[in-house]
Amino acid sequence: MSILAIDTAASRTSVVVIENGKVVFNEFRDGAMSHGPALPELVQAAIKNREITEVLVGMGPGPYTGLRVGITFAQTFAWARNIPVRGFCSLDAIAAQVSESDFIVAIDARRKEVYWARYTNGLRVEGPTVDLPAVVAARGIKVVSDLFPDPKYFISLSEEFTEPIYLRRPDAVATADRK
Amino acid sequence: MSEALVLGIETSCDETAIGIVRGRKLLANVIASSVEEHARFGGVVPEVASRAHLEAMQPALKEAMAQAKISLSDLDAVAVTAGPGLVGALLVGTSAAAGLALAIDKPIYGVNHLAAHVSVDYLTHDLPAEPTIALLVSGGHSSLLQVNDITGEIIKLGETMDDAAGEAFDKVARIMDLGFPGGPAIDRIAKTGSATAIDFPRGLTTSKDWETRPFEFSFSGLKTAVARYLEATPTYAKGDVAASFQEAIVDVLLLKAIAAAKKTGINSLVIAGGVAANSRLRQEATERCAAQGIKLRIPSPALCTDNGAMVAALGSLMVAAGRSASPIAFDAASSLPVTQISI
Repeated sequence: MSILAIDTAASRTSVVVIENGKVVFNEFRDGAMSHGPALPELVQAAIKNREITEVLVGMGPGPYTGLRVGITFAQTFAWARNIPVRGFCSLDAIAAQVSESDFIVAIDARRKEVYWARYTNGLRVEGPTVDLPAVVAARGIKVVSDLFPDPKYFISLSEEFTEPIYLRRPDAVATADRK
Repeated sequence: MSEALVLGIETSCDETAIGIVRGRKLLANVIASSVEEHARFGGVVPEVASRAHLEAMQPALKEAMAQAKISLSDLDAVAVTAGPGLVGALLVGTSAAAGLALAIDKPIYGVNHLAAHVSVDYLTHDLPAEPTIALLVSGGHSSLLQVNDITGEIIKLGETMDDAAGEAFDKVARIMDLGFPGGPAIDRIAKTGSATAIDFPRGLTTSKDWETRPFEFSFSGLKTAVARYLEATPTYAKGDVAASFQEAIVDVLLLKAIAAAKKTGINSLVIAGGVAANSRLRQEATERCAAQGIKLRIPSPALCTDNGAMVAALGSLMVAAGRSASPIAFDAASSLPVTQISI
């Protein structure tokens, strides 16, 4: 029973293998533009001499191009191995690292906005959503913004996501609406 | 290994495409296009395309496997378009390919989209008389190539200096309100008009151009000439404009392709890429090449536009030629030059 857990939602590519509740592989590569080569390299090392039985993957929110690397890789790997794949909120894998009773996780969403969610007594009570930092600050509670999702925590999460958590529509203006 | 069984993945633009070939035999060719989602924007929106690739990837893979009636463990290799193309779109394909290759423990070939367009002809025609001249014309590219070895050596003779041929079709279709993509729309309406009604310019065909840039193309002047004509002629006949514009493009493409064959002494021409599906280009190429004694090969229209079969075909040829596979960790190369056939 080896579970492969990956996350590419942030500017880090993280790969974890969990066997019988124990983390037996845990590596990452930093870089907002390097998910493409980093993920196969890490997974190749992670699955060596192991029989992977399930794949867990972060579905975001996060910058889209990197996010899709993890999701499409996880889905295709699981399909080819005929094993299950389950998706989770990447912010939840940050929140799990924080021991506070009421706090907000906020990560950079570009365009001067942040992706964020609020956690109270271990439960996500708001979000995931995207807003200006001022909206988050107005809550007046502790904001955690310096951590990366750690995919080893996906195993303990219950809420699954089957779609990428984009939270924004693509930027594009229909020709009919152009001036 | 002459009959390599290869699955190919193509996501460089707006088609999520999977092809499976065994040697030169096409077993599956699945194409999910997001073109309708882009139509209201008048062109391909990269983020829209990338989202559609992720959504379509699993269904397309499953459909291709069902068509081919093989099992994944039979595959000898996975091939994928590494570039050129939209980086976010390419990454969906390369990541799916890496996930598949690692899952089944088979080699991965990151191949060039443009070389793949040329190689797809090998699925439909007799094995090539290499070397051959290749005219590669699509929405993103217009190049004249000398293909000495499709898995080993491609020399670029010339390319467009501004718009690609397919891009010119799209832009002219847009100003004439014919919709997106422009190629099929213009091809259709051109059949109702006269190709000699309007004398649109043939870019880079002056005697000086033939001396200094014989194999380069330029289509932006043509696009501007069409726009000016439309402004000056409010009562224009759409059929005549479309047919005359199309004739100007076809004329220049073939003039230069045939000149390249003559100059290099290579009497073989492959026309590939989405614009190769244009009915006027196919007809005129057939006539001119016959008259010049040049052996012409154009893939069927369905294999001219972006597809996965071409990627699988090139992968299979790479395996057969004993070319080394790509490293498992490679990055999408949005501006991969045509001379680099694989990563």
